[in-house]
Amino acid sequence: MVVLASLPAWAELSKAEMVKLLGEIDDRQRNGGDYKALAYLEQKEKEKADIVREVLIFRRDADDKLMLLFTKPKSEEGKGYLRLEKNLWSYDPTTGKWDRATERERIGGTNSRRADFDESRLAEEFDPKFLADEKLGKFDTVKIELNVKPNVDVAYPVIQMWVDKDSHNILKRQEYAASGKLARTAYYPKWQKLFSESKKADVWFPGEIRIFDEIEKANSTLILFKSIDLSSLETNMFTKAWLESKSR
Amino acid sequence: MIIVLFLFGLLALVFVLSVVALGLVSSVSVVRSIIEIIKNPSLGLISFRSLLQHRLRSGLLGAAIALVTAGLVMVTGISVGINDTLLTSATTLMSGHVNVGGFYKATASQSAPVVTGFKKVEEIVKREFPEVDYVAQRGRGWAKLVSDTGSMQAGIGGVNIANEPGMKRVIVVKEGNIDDLAKPDAILLFEEQADKLEAKVGDRLTIAAPTFRGTNNTVDVTVVAVAKSVGMLSSFNVFINEQQLRKLYQLNDETTGALLVYLKDIRQVKVVQERMREVLKTGGYTMMDPDPRAFWMKFDAVNHESWTGQRLDITTWEDETSFVKWIVTILSFFATVVILILVVIIAVGIMMVVWISIRERTREIGTLRAVGMQRRSVLAMFVTEGFLLGLVGTVAGTVFGLLLTTGLNAANIQLPKSWQFVFMSERLIITPTAFWLAFGVLFITAIITAISVIPSFLAARLKPISAMSHVG
Repeated sequence: MVVLASLPAWAELSKAEMVKLLGEIDDRQRNGGDYKALAYLEQKEKEKADIVREVLIFRRDADDKLMLLFTKPKSEEGKGYLRLEKNLWSYDPTTGKWDRATERERIGGTNSRRADFDESRLAEEFDPKFLADEKLGKFDTVKIELNVKPNVDVAYPVIQMWVDKDSHNILKRQEYAASGKLARTAYYPKWQKLFSESKKADVWFPGEIRIFDEIEKANSTLILFKSIDLSSLETNMFTKAWLESKSR
Repeated sequence: MIIVLFLFGLLALVFVLSVVALGLVSSVSVVRSIIEIIKNPSLGLISFRSLLQHRLRSGLLGAAIALVTAGLVMVTGISVGINDTLLTSATTLMSGHVNVGGFYKATASQSAPVVTGFKKVEEIVKREFPEVDYVAQRGRGWAKLVSDTGSMQAGIGGVNIANEPGMKRVIVVKEGNIDDLAKPDAILLFEEQADKLEAKVGDRLTIAAPTFRGTNNTVDVTVVAVAKSVGMLSSFNVFINEQQLRKLYQLNDETTGALLVYLKDIRQVKVVQERMREVLKTGGYTMMDPDPRAFWMKFDAVNHESWTGQRLDITTWEDETSFVKWIVTILSFFATVVILILVVIIAVGIMMVVWISIRERTREIGTLRAVGMQRRSVLAMFVTEGFLLGLVGTVAGTVFGLLLTTGLNAANIQLPKSWQFVFMSERLIITPTAFWLAFGVLFITAIITAISVIPSFLAARLKPISAMSHVG
């Protein structure tokens, strides 16, 4: 938090200090223990009816475990994703089949990705670069560019981020395809904090993420996080059998 | 349930035995009749005159036979047309006659449908297989095409148009120039896609896809040509310059999707496929287990296997189109069933008519027998009547069917959208072949001749005295 407190001086930060700063942005959102949230995913696509899905998100950050379980609508009920040892598996109860998906795959056919639900790993995956001090609406922000580190696989290799100088929250992200074309813009209009017993400090979470498809301009995704719970989860719940049992 | 099955089985057995017995009796009788006709050609003349004498009955029956034959010509023509369209479109759009494809796995869970170091593989194929006409390398991908007004998912073929003579022969360009696919940012669309994306020659499109490592990427392309549809498969395939596809998937110059091998004689497909597998195995390549499915249907199985590195897969054009081949199979099955039902109806009609003819001519038969005509001559006379009726009817039906198919092909009939899926084409294509025309004539004539044996046999067994005294 010491570095973040001196945000106006970002332009003069060395690369090492920038990396440290990125680590602190990650750390503000890191719980270290278990995490459960109820979220709603709304997908808008051109010439298609809007679809809203209800999803339960389970995380055990200490072990890098993540599980998503769709609970609504009826057609999506029981579908889910489970990350096991760097593999992301998707489950469809109608066929009873598990498919290996890439970690960069769209979640539930929306424009959201695994990283939108997972703990922040910006410092681990990207090299930061200062771009500019910018005004974003009424907020004073610092705009930074993140470039993916060699041999790290991410959905978008270049990200530009606007970080609020006062709250130190990310307010906007623009993600670029490998070709350099702008592919996705995400806004983070609401942030909320919870006291974490495992961390013994506050943990920050986006309450809402609005994602706009920059290639197909008419498409957008809204992720609304509700009822976040940081209490301990069942010990053995991050298994295929547990996810399968929810649709039986 | 068991009793029903038993009865059903018994019935089927009786039916099969009856057909076999009838077939044997008919064959023997027909052979005897042929010998009799050769010995006494005037019997054929009598049969012919008899048909002329009862021209209304013969005409009606002949017309029915002609209609069934014309139906057979149409149905087999449509079936062949669908098969030909499938072969043409498949071997133009997504497959060679034989393909050297495969998967490269950087990790156990990440597979890419590519052939690394393809130039060496191509060299072996060209050197070891004199059956090969030419080899084209084709990048393979599945991506989203985005225009200003719409988007769609499509199979992306990366081509070097200079190496694709077959493609230039088959694809009919409606607008633009197919040779412009040599330009680095070029894309060729088919009519249906151009309509959906509201794109025309000169318009810019964006192609978006994740690379094989999962990183999202895009390339911007310009529409250089809009081609006419080449069957159903062209509704979800587009072509771009091969370098542009490499850029999209971040592949090096030594990597391609598959080598499409075109043979001088397509009938050698299976032999070449088997030998290619052996030759490449001997050349040090690891082969995938034979799996007669399209490459994109194998991702699931490949991703569940633990191996890493490159494995090659040799497929035929039929394997790559197996996901649509079932349509042809089902259509052929239904066509066969319909034709068989019609043939059975006609056969029963023939039997009834010959029966009536014999009833009407019982006194005549008695007289002929009384003046010395042998039983086998009577049999030959009536069998010949059936044969002549069948031959004339089927030949007339074949001619009528041919005229009808020529007319329908010339009319260039546009099929409704829902039918295009089944017919693999946007218009009705009927391709009558000499084999099926000859088969129609011979098969239906043989059936009619065989079926006329039963009443003819009974006529031959009539005693002259009772036949002459017959009233009716």
